[in-house]
Amino acid sequence: MTQEITFWVLAVIAVLGALLAVRRRNLIHGVFALMIFFAALAGLFLLLLAEFIAAVQILVYIGAVGILLLFAIMLTERVTGDDARDITSRGSFWGWAAALAVLVFLLLPTIQGADLPQTVQPINPSVKALGFKLMNPYVVTLEVLALLLTAALVGAVAAAQGGEKKKEDAGDA
Amino acid sequence: MSFELIKDILLATVPLLVIFPSLFAFTTWMERKALARIQNRIGPNKTGIPCTRIGLFGLGQPAADGIKMIFKEDIVPRGADKLFHLLAPILALIPAMLILCFLPLEFPWGKFISGKVQAFMLDSAVIFFFAISGLATLAIFMAGWASRNKYSLLGGMRAVAQMVSYEIPLVLSAVIVVMMVGSLNAKEIAGAQTGFNWFVFSPWGLAAFIVFFIAALAETNRSPFDLPEAESEIIAGYFTEYSGFKFALFFLGEYIAMFAISGLAVTLFLGAGDGPFLAAAPWLSVVWFIAKIFGLIAVMIWLRGTLPRLRVDQLMAFAWKFLLPLSIVNILLAGLSHHVIDAYPGPVAKVGAWAVSLVLLYMMAWGLNNISRSTAKPREYLYAE
Repeated sequence: MTQEITFWVLAVIAVLGALLAVRRRNLIHGVFALMIFFAALAGLFLLLLAEFIAAVQILVYIGAVGILLLFAIMLTERVTGDDARDITSRGSFWGWAAALAVLVFLLLPTIQGADLPQTVQPINPSVKALGFKLMNPYVVTLEVLALLLTAALVGAVAAAQGGEKKKEDAGDA
Repeated sequence: MSFELIKDILLATVPLLVIFPSLFAFTTWMERKALARIQNRIGPNKTGIPCTRIGLFGLGQPAADGIKMIFKEDIVPRGADKLFHLLAPILALIPAMLILCFLPLEFPWGKFISGKVQAFMLDSAVIFFFAISGLATLAIFMAGWASRNKYSLLGGMRAVAQMVSYEIPLVLSAVIVVMMVGSLNAKEIAGAQTGFNWFVFSPWGLAAFIVFFIAALAETNRSPFDLPEAESEIIAGYFTEYSGFKFALFFLGEYIAMFAISGLAVTLFLGAGDGPFLAAAPWLSVVWFIAKIFGLIAVMIWLRGTLPRLRVDQLMAFAWKFLLPLSIVNILLAGLSHHVIDAYPGPVAKVGAWAVSLVLLYMMAWGLNNISRSTAKPREYLYAE
């Protein structure tokens, strides 16, 4: 009972946050609405006993992606967020139609037809098990991912350095 | 069921809600007194019991401050984003209060009233701690942005840049303890240090503790890392446009965050509730825990009275060129020594590993200090001759 109430409260918050994130004209408001959505999602993960995923959801999506979005907006000229332009464009009808079509013809039949198990196997939601999985069968994947991220980091540093040199040249000229 | 649930929730949360804000009041008094003594002043000494001449060393000062804050006019700038201006101080307080729940504090009344005494017993408490404490950055940015004030926005941007940089050495130094214990559970980490087996008593633990403490100072915007609120440069930074109770909420949030992060430092490195006389009186563990937190807070106050503020380039160079490499090397050394001591039991391997790590860490710190010194050129003025 308590779990159901919690689920519905979190679900409503998540949907409202997602709607606000795409409907707000003010970009900063939009980013914060998106963060509300992420936080509600983390709450839903907690409800499923996936506490590690919930923590990572907060850490990565709110702490990193959200802050990055804010930084990106700070670098644009719309930093004040005042934007009175109308957000609906001419093609909005087709967007609504496509979204509705996906919902009615794809998502709903899949959910209706899904053969969900009525009794759930008891699981041990432990971080330790996750760690052993990451270090044993998936260790190569993990290493490759780490290498990819390092490459991306080095690339970012290289790109930033190149940009700085160009700016100096422009300053001299 | 519902009554039990409510009782558990109250038992777990009310002590945190009562103890830490009252400690906050005491800490403001302690800080003002200590800073005053460092600066050869007396500090608050008049406010004691009202309507009498009894001063009580100025212990009434926090109450007087609180009353003043509540009755002060709440000013919102005309151009401000009204909603965010209101939400920011609230958002600053929530994560700080929330992370207190992850500390392994065991209040002694669990024996008398059956029930849980800790709010969250999560397996991944340490990760949650870092995830949620990072949210305070958002509140500071929100405050700076909503005020529509150049200085506020600058303060907010500085806070975000600083916190993003210092979060990395903070987490990396905590990794060492997680490696040693093999658990992210705060209670297991505390349990692994009983009997004065504190992690600070090993070379890598000591180095990690120092890095952690420095990064914690930066994370909580404490001096010498208080650039987001540097009075001489940007007025008061992100809370320039705040007054009255909203300002008080920022103040409270900052101090609660200090308590929380000191509490994590105590849990990870200083043995949590471990201390003498525990066998005779187990309830002392809460006392030891809070006393250790207070010890760290006292060091923070001492540093604030002693050190000048860093420049922005010094701040960034220190995080990226000194703390980060040092903590990465520290992780390597800790892992190696741990395995060496495990593989060759006996005092020889232990002493050897300790000596080698101590020497290597010292050399690393010395070398990094020499090469990471900020090489700022003389300032070039853009808009002035």
